[in-house]
Amino acid sequence: MSDKNPEKGEVSRRDFLGLAAIGTAVLSALGVLAGVLRIFKPDVHFEESKKFKIGKPEQFPVGTVKKFDDKKLFVFSDEDGFYAITAVCQHLGCIVYKTDWGFQCPCHGSKYDQMGNVIGGPAPRGLPWFKIEQLVDGSLVVDASKEVPKGTKYIYV
Amino acid sequence: MGEVNQSGIAKFLNNIRSLKKSFLGSFLRSGKPTSDKSRAAVMFNNFFLHIQGVKTHINTLRPTYTFGFGLISLYLLIIVVISGVLLMVYYNPSVTEAYNKIKDLKYVVFGGNLLRNIHKWSGEGMIIFVLLHMARVFYTGSYKKGREFNWVIGIVLLILMFGMNLSGYMLPWDQLAYWALLIVANIINSPKEITDSLGITQYFDIGGFFKELFLGGTNPTQESLTRVYLLHIWLLPMFLFLFLGIHFWRIRKDGGLTRPDTFERKDSDIYYVNPPEKTGGIFPTYKTYGLMELARGRTPAVDKDVENTVLSWPNLLIAELAIFVLTLAGVIAYAYFVDAPFKEPANPLIPENPAKAPWYFLGLQELLSYSAFMGGVGLPGLALLGLALIPYLDREEDRVGIWFTNRQGVTVALQSFIIGTIVVIGILAFVVNFGWFRNWWPNVPQILITLINPGNIWVGFMIVYSLFVIKKTGSTRMGAIALFTMFLVSYVIFTAMGTYFRGPNWDFFWSKSQWPIH
Amino acid sequence: MYSRFYLSVLLISGLVLITFLVFATYRELNPEWKKYQLEYRDLLIKNAPNEAARKKAKSIKIEHQQIYIKPLKKVDRCMNCHRGVDDPLMKDAKVPHKLHSGDYLKKHPVSKFGCTLCHYGQGRATNKKDAHGKGRDTHWDYPLIPFKYIQSSCAKCHDYLFLKDNGGEMVVEGERLFREKGCRGCHKLNGVGGDLGKPLDIIGSQPIAYFPMKYVVGERNTYNWLKQHFLDPRKIVPGSEMRVFLSEKEADLLTTYTLTLRAEEMPRQFRAIRYTTPVPKDGESLYKMYCVACHGNGKISAYDEILKRTIPAIMNPAFLKIADDKNLERIIKEGRKGTPMTSWKRTAAGLRDEEIRNIIKFITKDRPDERPEPFDYKRFVTDTKHGKELFNVRCALCHGKDGKGGKDHLGLNLRNPAVQKFVDPEFLAMTIRDGRKGTPMPAFGKTGVGLSDQDIADLVAYIRSFSDKGKK
Repeated sequence: MSDKNPEKGEVSRRDFLGLAAIGTAVLSALGVLAGVLRIFKPDVHFEESKKFKIGKPEQFPVGTVKKFDDKKLFVFSDEDGFYAITAVCQHLGCIVYKTDWGFQCPCHGSKYDQMGNVIGGPAPRGLPWFKIEQLVDGSLVVDASKEVPKGTKYIYV
Repeated sequence: MGEVNQSGIAKFLNNIRSLKKSFLGSFLRSGKPTSDKSRAAVMFNNFFLHIQGVKTHINTLRPTYTFGFGLISLYLLIIVVISGVLLMVYYNPSVTEAYNKIKDLKYVVFGGNLLRNIHKWSGEGMIIFVLLHMARVFYTGSYKKGREFNWVIGIVLLILMFGMNLSGYMLPWDQLAYWALLIVANIINSPKEITDSLGITQYFDIGGFFKELFLGGTNPTQESLTRVYLLHIWLLPMFLFLFLGIHFWRIRKDGGLTRPDTFERKDSDIYYVNPPEKTGGIFPTYKTYGLMELARGRTPAVDKDVENTVLSWPNLLIAELAIFVLTLAGVIAYAYFVDAPFKEPANPLIPENPAKAPWYFLGLQELLSYSAFMGGVGLPGLALLGLALIPYLDREEDRVGIWFTNRQGVTVALQSFIIGTIVVIGILAFVVNFGWFRNWWPNVPQILITLINPGNIWVGFMIVYSLFVIKKTGSTRMGAIALFTMFLVSYVIFTAMGTYFRGPNWDFFWSKSQWPIH
Repeated sequence: MYSRFYLSVLLISGLVLITFLVFATYRELNPEWKKYQLEYRDLLIKNAPNEAARKKAKSIKIEHQQIYIKPLKKVDRCMNCHRGVDDPLMKDAKVPHKLHSGDYLKKHPVSKFGCTLCHYGQGRATNKKDAHGKGRDTHWDYPLIPFKYIQSSCAKCHDYLFLKDNGGEMVVEGERLFREKGCRGCHKLNGVGGDLGKPLDIIGSQPIAYFPMKYVVGERNTYNWLKQHFLDPRKIVPGSEMRVFLSEKEADLLTTYTLTLRAEEMPRQFRAIRYTTPVPKDGESLYKMYCVACHGNGKISAYDEILKRTIPAIMNPAFLKIADDKNLERIIKEGRKGTPMTSWKRTAAGLRDEEIRNIIKFITKDRPDERPEPFDYKRFVTDTKHGKELFNVRCALCHGKDGKGGKDHLGLNLRNPAVQKFVDPEFLAMTIRDGRKGTPMPAFGKTGVGLSDQDIADLVAYIRSFSDKGKK
């Protein structure tokens, strides 16, 4: 009695109306799911611009090492020009501090040399360098959204 | 040793090879539902499906019996919960940030505006469909024969649902939210009207106590928003789901939905179900569940009318899925076109004029404009008490499961509808044109207005009229029909009055276009 | 075929659902601002001076442009459409792509100041209607500010001395008008001023619902309300007692100034206030600031249609001759109850004693040298009945039979509690005897109509008996 009419079950499952109905239901479910997942990503972030003025070149005479605490980066000036290195450790995001030989992360002991290359500790990669540009009025601008190869310095003319 | 190892590894590899089969088998213990037996097994082995019977009565699946009102209410609740969780991703219950967050949701979140509309409209849709569901249960007499207490739980759910809608209304912290919050706080405060009249407020200020409990102060502030948020996302839903569980569990234990004792199959049933070819189904007619055969009680009613049942898988599930997709499509389509209201940021110094409560409470606000206590606490309390008592005051058990019971029921319902409409509109017209006590005698004591006001007169009329119907027809069911019909009529008319015909200063206007410009 | 009904419902609902999901996705993927950004990109490519710039222009992303000003917790998304606002290449482009006019952006970079700080509108909104905030259905209290009032925004950070020479002259002029039209005679600002009108401290940032918009012509916003109210207060607020008569230009100036009176204060790093304008404290300036709105030049006493009463001529020599400084100081400090004349002392309207003395010095500058002959009221035994007879014959014509003065009468209300309580009988007697030159009040004494001192004393007694009657 419990297994009556298996053929009928087969037929009704293959029935067009049933298939179409279930199909649209599944499709709409996928659509709703996609929409739900998309909602989690807003179109904008509430962060300040990654690009910011740091001042005029005169403020950075050769040999300057200046840390911008709120921007989490170091700005250097040497004979070859200006360059900016992030202060964010590439291991787990702590803030490194400057030492005689380079940078030291206080959290898990990552060590970087003067160029930001890893010389010890768990960090998987060196500290990235950011692009420096100059505005028409002469101010230097760091663009922390753009990385440049290590050793790229902005030459002030 | 090697051999043992070998066979151990082989067993392990075998287990890996059969992983898919064994995992699916443990997941779906009864396998694919290809036979009636396995279809039944799916239903009672599945956590989510076993809340429903293995077999469902054909009457339940006829759309003209339930119209799916209860099911739609449930689905709206599910949609509300899911969309609400998504809204919580962005919302921040802070008086300075809440408003901005919702603006951001509207402008820079993909589908954020639609999401908010969905949440809003499915929440408010619940009010309509829960009331329709209540009306269906009432008019089919489904609150009888062991279901009395489930009706009471339904009333509790109704209150919780109103509470959730109302608390949600206050979260955007715009002008609408702020002033609705203040109005509700003062409704809570309204027992003060009675304690003031009795001169005992300074010893026993129950209104003030609850108002302060609700607001966390005497005015809507950050504390109030925090409390309302807590109510909206945790306290009320928790109780709602608890009572909802009991509601469903009781339906299940009562053997599913009500149906007429004199059920007869029709040819048209083929459109809704796959009718069983043989009578008797998979269970013998004397079958009850396990130990329940020892029980001599009124539940569960599983052994009755088994020949008119069909397997829930797939008959019921297809119907349920269809109604769910229908509900979702309806909500999304409505939300696509109609934006949820969102006004200026809350400003405690400049009231909205008129400062209206959300629409579903505008009937109450109309009563409130006569007497804050009676409109806010007295009459709603009385109405809810009356509704809850209906199953205990009307205990006639014949012809349960038939709309309006019989021809006389239709007549009584129609008569009550017409008389109720005329009387309510008459009362409103009188009040709009001539005012009430205070317009005639400015110094009339408040207690007199509290006791004698249009709201009370209407409730008194409903009670007297229902008693008259009981006396005339000799049936308590007819009296209940008269009372309930009038209750519904007045809820709708009072709500429409507050929504469409009341403008600034709660004056009467034929349409919103006549409102004076501020 | 079983369950055909439910399967059909499922199929149709599923199709409707998918349709609306597609609709909604389409709507989300094609916001209004996308069109403008595409136009902007095309313009950039067209205007590019060289190949590198063209290549760069082609690669710009069409995406949300947001300026987040952390110290202000402000979000501006105006550049979703106005993306070229700080791009010199867009100098000749059309709105919305046009470069910002002037060189304001040099000192006020968009990234630091955003847009709505000066221009208002709804920074968070991403469609034109909501962003510009025009129309009641946007539910936004601060729509785009009309260009003619834009200078009011400068005063958020800059002081008047700076503004005077750097493009903020409308604010400076407005402030001067505000002082000279006697606005503070009725309105408090920073706690000082009369209390007939509403305090003005945050009037510029009040929401639209604060203003009765019923009679405003055109768009119902704060800007139009202020302007139209300045031009004709009683047209916008029927029954208003505001006495102000301005030209179109002056109304614009005052509107600009009023819009600088805002609740929110800019954070320190934005402000560029070097020193505040020293407000002149001489008698004339103070008289203009606090008194001129009602008393005008102070020479003519006349019935005022707006205030529905006769305003005394306080700079009339005849009045000054009998009103000594002590009298005046008492009137100014305590006010006149029952009249719009408020109490101006430090604890009420907020004037310092020194300022009041300066004002008195200014209004008494035309006081005649000779002092009036004193009137020793206490010497006489008075007869109120005789006084009444005299009053009905001599005084009732102007002051009314009951002494109330009023619309059809030239005279003051003698039943006014201020007259009854604070004016001493000697002052009354001298006024009756010598009259008030420059007002319709003639001299009734020996030199004029010819009443004897005894008659005058009887009259004074009768007038003073009004308040006794009132008490009974």
